[in-house]
Order: sequence, then C-alpha cells, then structure tokens
Amino acid sequence: MLENNNLRICRKLVGREFQFHKGQSLLLVLAVTLVCMLYTFSFCLGNLTYDGFLYSFRTIYGSDSHIIYDNITEAQAAALKKHPAVKETAALSVTGVLSDEMLENRNVKLAAVSEGWAKATGAVPHSGRMPAEKDEIALDEITMNSLVIPHEIGAEVPIRWQSEDGEEHMHMFRLSGWWRNPAGETDSCAWITEETAGELCDKTADTLMLGVTLYRPGDVEKQAKDMLAELGMEDISYTTNLAYNEARQDYAGREAMAFYRMNLIVVLCGVLMLCHIVQLSAQQNIRFYGRIKSLGMTPRQIRVLAVMRTVRVCLPGILPGWILGFLLCAAVAPQVVVGMEQNPAFAFFQIWPFFISALLTGATALTACLLPVRRAVRSVPAEAMRYVEGAGRSRRRRRKSRASILRRIALTGLSRQKKQSLLAAFSLLLSLVILCGVWTVRMSYDEEKYLEGMALCDYRLADASAASGVQRYNPKSRSITPQIMEALLAHPAVTGIGQACTREVLLYAKPEERAPIIDTFEEVDEYGNARKAYMADDPDWLAGYERMRETGEYTGIVTGVDGLMLENAMARQVFLEGSFDQSAFATGKYVLAAGADSSYIRSTPPAGSRITICGREFEIMASIPYESTLLSGADSRQAQYNITYYLPHSAFDELFPEHGIRNVAINIDHEELRAFEEFLDQLLEGSGVDVFSYGDYRWTFQNAVFHRCFIPLFVGSVMLLIGMLNFANALAAGMLVRKKEFAVYESLGMTRKQLRRLLLWEGAGGYAALFLLLTPGTAICTWLWGKWWLAHTNTWCITWRFSLLPLWVSLPALLVLAFTVPLCFLKVVTKEGVTERLRVIT
Amino acid sequence: MDIITLHHVKKYYGRKENVVKALDGIDLTIEQGTFTAIVGASGSGKTTLLNMMGGLDVPDDGEIMVDGVKLSGLKEEQLAVFRRKKVGFIFQNYNLIPTLTVEENILFPLELDGSAPDQGYLEEITQLLGLKDKLDAFPEMLSGGGQQRVAIARALAVKPAILLADEPTGNLDSQNGQNVAGLLKMTTELFHRTLVMITHNMELAQLADRVVRLQDGRIVS
Repeated sequence: MLENNNLRICRKLVGREFQFHKGQSLLLVLAVTLVCMLYTFSFCLGNLTYDGFLYSFRTIYGSDSHIIYDNITEAQAAALKKHPAVKETAALSVTGVLSDEMLENRNVKLAAVSEGWAKATGAVPHSGRMPAEKDEIALDEITMNSLVIPHEIGAEVPIRWQSEDGEEHMHMFRLSGWWRNPAGETDSCAWITEETAGELCDKTADTLMLGVTLYRPGDVEKQAKDMLAELGMEDISYTTNLAYNEARQDYAGREAMAFYRMNLIVVLCGVLMLCHIVQLSAQQNIRFYGRIKSLGMTPRQIRVLAVMRTVRVCLPGILPGWILGFLLCAAVAPQVVVGMEQNPAFAFFQIWPFFISALLTGATALTACLLPVRRAVRSVPAEAMRYVEGAGRSRRRRRKSRASILRRIALTGLSRQKKQSLLAAFSLLLSLVILCGVWTVRMSYDEEKYLEGMALCDYRLADASAASGVQRYNPKSRSITPQIMEALLAHPAVTGIGQACTREVLLYAKPEERAPIIDTFEEVDEYGNARKAYMADDPDWLAGYERMRETGEYTGIVTGVDGLMLENAMARQVFLEGSFDQSAFATGKYVLAAGADSSYIRSTPPAGSRITICGREFEIMASIPYESTLLSGADSRQAQYNITYYLPHSAFDELFPEHGIRNVAINIDHEELRAFEEFLDQLLEGSGVDVFSYGDYRWTFQNAVFHRCFIPLFVGSVMLLIGMLNFANALAAGMLVRKKEFAVYESLGMTRKQLRRLLLWEGAGGYAALFLLLTPGTAICTWLWGKWWLAHTNTWCITWRFSLLPLWVSLPALLVLAFTVPLCFLKVVTKEGVTERLRVIT
Repeated sequence: MDIITLHHVKKYYGRKENVVKALDGIDLTIEQGTFTAIVGASGSGKTTLLNMMGGLDVPDDGEIMVDGVKLSGLKEEQLAVFRRKKVGFIFQNYNLIPTLTVEENILFPLELDGSAPDQGYLEEITQLLGLKDKLDAFPEMLSGGGQQRVAIARALAVKPAILLADEPTGNLDSQNGQNVAGLLKMTTELFHRTLVMITHNMELAQLADRVVRLQDGRIVS
C-alpha cells in the first residue's frame, strides 16, 4: 500500500507558493540573506584572525618555510629536496654570523645571496639592490641602525663576524642596498656575493641551511623528524616554523574561537528571526498541511515539501549573504589584523567559511521552517485543518472591569499574538543585554587611566639604535643630533621637552651594601618562593645577580635626565626609601637609585649611602622601583640585572662628555598638533629616529578596546535590529489577521476614530508590557554580567561605569513602532468595504 | 456488500466535567454503491463521524473498516496513502489549493501517488461537471459552485472506494446547492461510487438512499 511517494508534486507546490506569496517569500529571503551575512562575516573573520596569528608567528620566525635544517652538506640538501613530502626548498650558504656585541639579541647570518631564501624571509632590498660585486653587502635597517651605518649606497660597512669554527674576523664591505625591518626582528641575513663568501670562508659545504616547504604542513615537527629518519640523517638539527607549531596553532585557534563562538548567537538570532517570519503564517501553514494531508499527502512528502520550501528561500538569499558578509569582513579586517599592506580579508581568503556559512544558513532556516510542519505532522488532518493559533490555552476567566469598552477590547487584543510578541520581546531582551553588557565593558575601559599609566608625554623620540625591543642601545649612535634638539627647542608648539642619555658602567657594591639587596632576593615570600626564583626564565638576569652576590660587581645604568624626562621619571614613583628634593638633585651631587625589581621592595643600596661612578662620588637621595616604560630599546645582556642611577643631565655631561641621546620626551600645545607633526616628519626624515606619540598610545588602546568589543557590539546591534523587526512584524501580523474583526466592530457602529483610539490603547499597553520586561531585565542582567566580568578580568586600566545607553536609545524607537505600525496597517486592513470583509472565511 | 463498517466507535473531547461525547458508541454499516445522508443538529457529531470514516481522525474506542481495510491498524503514512487511494473528500469550504490550477487541483491526489491519470475518465468527469474550459484557471477565479465542482472532480479523479462530502452545499446558494447535489448523485451513480454526505438540508437528504440521523453522538434513526 505504501508503494508510492511521489515527490515531484512537492517541487511544483513550492514553486507556485513562491510565486503566489511573494511578500512573505521575499521577507524570508531577506532574513536568510541577513543570517548568511552574519555567518559569513563571523567565519571569515575567525579564519582571518587565525591566519593573521599564523602570519605573525611566521613573521616572528622570519621565514615562510615550514622547516629549516641547519648545517647540512650539499648532498644532504639534495636528498632532502628529493623527498616526496617536500614541495619546494630554499638553500642558504652561511659564511658566518655577525658578532658585533650590539647585535647580541639578534642572529644575523652573513651569507651568499639566495633569492629563494630572501623571498621566503622578506629580505629583499627596497633601497639599492642585492650585492653583485665583490665586497658588496646588503643589510636590514635594524642591523644598520644598531651598527650605526649610514643609509647611503656605497657607504663603508665594517663588519665583525664569526666563522663556524668560532674564529672572529673583521671585513670592510660597501653597502649595495637595504630593506626595511626583516620579517623576524631577531633573525636576519647580511647578503654578500658568492665570490666574496668563497674568499671569506672555504668551508661553505658544511654550512648550508635549507628551508623546506611541505606539501601538507600538518604536524611539521613529526614530518621534519620522519624525513631525517627516512634519509638516515637523524643528527641534523632543525627548527620548525612557529606558525605550524601545534601549541601556536592551538593558541591561534583559541583566539579565532571567539569569533566562531559568536555563531551560537547568530544561530539563535537567525532561528528567532526566521521562526518569527514563519510564525506569522503558522496558522495558515498548519491548516494548509492539514488540507493536503487530508487529500493523501504522507508525512514524508510534507517534510520534503518543507525542506524544498527552505531550499527555495535559501538559494536566492545565500549569494547576497556571502557578498555582504565578506564585504563587511573586509571593512573590519584591517582593524583586526594590523600591519598588512593588503587587506587581510583578501590576503587570507578561503572558500570554506562560505561553504560552512551556506550549510549553517540552510540548517537555521530548516529549523525555523520545520516547526509548523512538526505540528502539522503530529496532529491528525481533522485537527490541523481547524487549527487556531493559541486557541483554547487561556483558561483564566476575566474579571469584570470598569474600564471603557475600547480599553477592554485593547486588553484582549494584547493577549492575541502572544507567542509572536514573546518571541520578539525575548530577542529584544537578549540583544539589549548583549549590547548593554558590552557597552558597559567598553565604557569601563578607562582611556585616561591607560594613557596616564603608559604615555608620559605627547611624543617620545628614540635613537635609531633603540627603536625596537630587540635592539641593544648603541651609545655611539647619534641619530638624535644637536641640530634636531635645537630645532625642537625652538619650535613654538613645544611646551615641554626633556632628554635621557644612558651609559652602562661596571660598579662595585661593598659587602655591607649588597647584603640587604641579597636578603631581598633570597627572602622567601608568602608563596614559599625566593624572589630571585621568579627570574628563573631570565638566565642573564640570574647570572648578573649571582655575579653581584659573589663579587659585588654589577652593571649600573647611569641615566642622565632633565626637563620633561626627569618629570616623567618621577611622575609615578613610589619612594621606597628617602624622598626627592628637586633643587638638591639639580646640584648634581645626588642620584636616585632604581633596583632590579619592579615590586615595591627596596633592592638598591640604601638612601643616604654613597656611590662612586666613574671616579665621582654621589649620595643616593632615594630608592625607587624599576621602571620599564621610561626608556626604549634594550640594554646589554650583562645589564639584565642592573641598578639604574638617575642623575641630572648636566652631571651626566660631565661624566661622559661624548654621548648621544637615547630618548627625548616632548609635550606640545595640542592646538598646534597638525603643524607640529608636519614639522617633525620633515625634521626627522631619513634620520632613523623612531617616533612614538601620545596618539599612538591612544590608537593602541582604542584598537585593543575595539578588538574586545566590536564583534559582540556588532552582533548585538544586528540582534536588536532583528528584535525590532520581529516586534514590527508581530504588530503588523496582529493587524492583518483582524480584517474581519474590525469589520464586525465597524458594522456595530465603531467609527474609524474609535478604531484608531483602540489601536493606540493596544500600542500603549504593548509598549508598557515591553518596557516593564526590558528595563529591569536588561538592567539586572547587564549589572550581573558586568560585575562578573569585572571580577574575572585582569586588566588594570578599568573604572566600573555601568551604562544602559543602548536600552535608552532603543526604548523611544520601540515606542514609535508600537504606535505607528498598527496605525499604518489599519489603512491596509480597512481598504475593502465592511461587507466584503465580513464575508471573509476565517 | 458492506463497504464501511463502524463498530462501537467513540470519540470524546475534553476532560472530566467538561467532556463532550462527539461520538458515543456508533455502530453503522454502509453498503457499496449507495448514497447515505447524515443529518443532525450542529454539534451532533456528523463531521466527526465523517472524519472517522475517512481516516482524518482517530476514534478513542471502537473499530472502523473501510473497503476491507481496518483503519485502527494503520500508521500515519499508511493512513495518508489510504486516504489518497480509497477516499474522495468534498469539503464545505472546498479545500482547493489556491496556487494550483483547476486541472492541477483535480490531478493533485494522483500526483501525490505518482500514478498516471486515466485521460478518458478525467475528460468524462470534467465534461460532466462543466469544467472543460476552466482547467487552466486558478480556483479564486471561479464562483463558489465552480470551486465545489472542482472539489468533486478531484474527489472522483482517483476512483475512490467511497466519497465523503461534508456539507458540500453549505457555502452555496440554493440553486447552486441543488445543482451540486444533483451532480454528486449523478456522478456516484454513473461511476458506481459509495457516497456519504452530511447535510442540513432535508430536501437534499431526500435524494439519498438512506438517511442516518445523529443526536448527541448517537444514531437515533
């Protein structure tokens, strides 16, 4: 009996339905577009966040190659190249390593030009060219600045380097070109010609490096090991690209997960929105299904019909959804992944987010569309055919009311469309909680507090050799020239200026002076650890400390400060011992001592004790904690453990008459900002001096807050829009089904004016109910969420600022909707005459 | 030969003190090829009885047998196929699918089944019911009487064992009502169908071979 289940008829019905109910179908297509847009946006954004992190890891690693094998022979390199897992290779013949102490935090290889390697590591000159002649060299800018090499083609470049056997060499090169900061700041190459390399070292065969790109970059560590095992070369050392490290990939995955998690809200949003639109005609649909069921349509055929209906509305909605979602992502992408020339959305374009978005959109639409089908399939046809939405559920008896008949009808009208109204109210509440919660978080990030803590001045100039954290400051560098200082001092916009100069010196602490310092670091704290144990991950610090403990010798960083720099140095200081007397300090007889620990425990010689620096005796005026934000660049490895002595710039001048300026702090009249920035650009052009402005700090802060809040704010806004649409839908649907009801009222003598008043009462009642639900609901949920967040966040620049701004903005909009939508639709439903409307079969 | 047999069929709605006995132990047999009219006051259980016979509703108790098929033993899918093949429904409000043309509406049960229509037979029906030149029209373009004729044609199209008509003339004026009832009787006689029709109109009931009167869910005559 069950032999036939023809599905062709379903296709015909769906096609016709789409044609006949264009309005609703279009609404569904729009909703699908919106849902697909949200999915595409979040998946594309998640994907580019993931790829952006991998990109940054590749940047840190300094190469696009998946594996780099060190110290291999030509024969071994040839064997690796032939391995079936290897897609392409780039070989580097390393002559030696640049060994100048100013490059101690970096690994710069002296190597014969390898175009492949240069391409993989971004080490291609943008000024000049690759070396082509004997003794030519091409370098990156960080190396040049650290070695104080002028940015001039043909400039003489004295290079100290170490060959594989550990022997130190010195060679004079000519600069043929340079490129901007290398892909990885810590790793770079100094390109020379093969001919020069051959002359410098004849053992190049043993010092080949091979960058390998695999066909499948999954589990790179294992592949690297397996390849060596297969080729019988287990002894060869290698490194794998950080971007393909499992832990790093997990980290990137976790970061991207925030965007993927957003999809849970999108699912909810999408189902709510589509459900709502479907719900508008649920009664009609259920009756329709009942009718066709009575004619012999099987539940399976009905389900297929519903699926086909869903597919029909999804198909035209997906493509625009993809496009809109991707465009939105492209607009946001440069804020999410910074520092790329190409838009990250295009650079990291992949097809899978679109595929997943389409699938999820289909699933969301199906969930919403199958709900009425489920009801129709479950009930017998006789029941489904006479189905009335919400009928027979209210068993409450109404109390007699003294209110006017209009108000009583309005009250009854409110209980109609209860399910739709509740759905709308729920989506509104959810969106407002998200918006107000995130808005509260956003407002609580205190920019002033951050800037106060981080930006000590409007502009900070840094010497070219101390622009980056991996660069050791070179005291020979003179990129901040006296001319620059003079021009700055003379500029009318400058309201404050100060400079900082540093010099590392070897100092000696007598046993009685170092004993309290040793006690500080050896003392066991409340967690059962000696303070020095917290520095276990910094072997240079520990070595410096041990040297001081055993011999009394330590590195002192003598820092000459004046003007604004002195103010900055003292701005947030906590005086652990002694106090600051500016006039006494200006005499040049005193120093301030900052210990090798940033906590509020003294780790310097005591205040009042005397210290001899370069033969001149100073009295320690006060002891202060270590301050990391004052100076840019790094100090030598020996200075990882140090005691910094601040003294007036004039005294520093006397101690070290030949010195450069490490940092300059400038405050300006903000009204002259634009003119000053133009002046600064011209003044510092080609000098290599790094500029970090107050605006940069502000941008960093705002960018970080944007990153944290943008996505949930965006989702919340879309949800709010959906909630409002649902609310308007519910109001409109509530009007459309009352055609006959209004005709009855009119036939009994109700005037249009009374009808309008009835609708105004209904609007007021509906709005009041919504207001009573949304205001306390949003306030309580937002408060709880905000407080939970505050308790669980570890950010220091926060001031609790509870804000319900999105709610206050939304409530008037909802008020307008509550009154205008029914009045607008009154015209539509009363267009036909009373008798025509009375004839309508319910 | 009996084509419909109802044995002690009960259908109650509501609970406890609010219980409504729509059908209260109905025993009824209907012979093949006959025209039976069911009459009774509103709420007497006529439509419920008709729905039970057509498998549109399920009884709380009792057994229903239609053309040798015991309905209580059928699952959802089987019931749907049973309705499609054995029963032709004619509703008071026609229940036509507004998005399909007259011809498509008539062929709808056949299309559900995937079976090919008997062209000669269909032409005969449409000719007889005066629908020949209206096959490409949509239902809303027809009058009430026209729509009901389409519903009759659809009910006959699958050559069902029984035709169940629930007040088929209820929405029509008396002239159209007479015409439709006449057509129904004529076509069932012509094609040897069994017709069960609910009506309030005693004049129409007189056309039937047998009149069953219901009161409070029971057969009174």
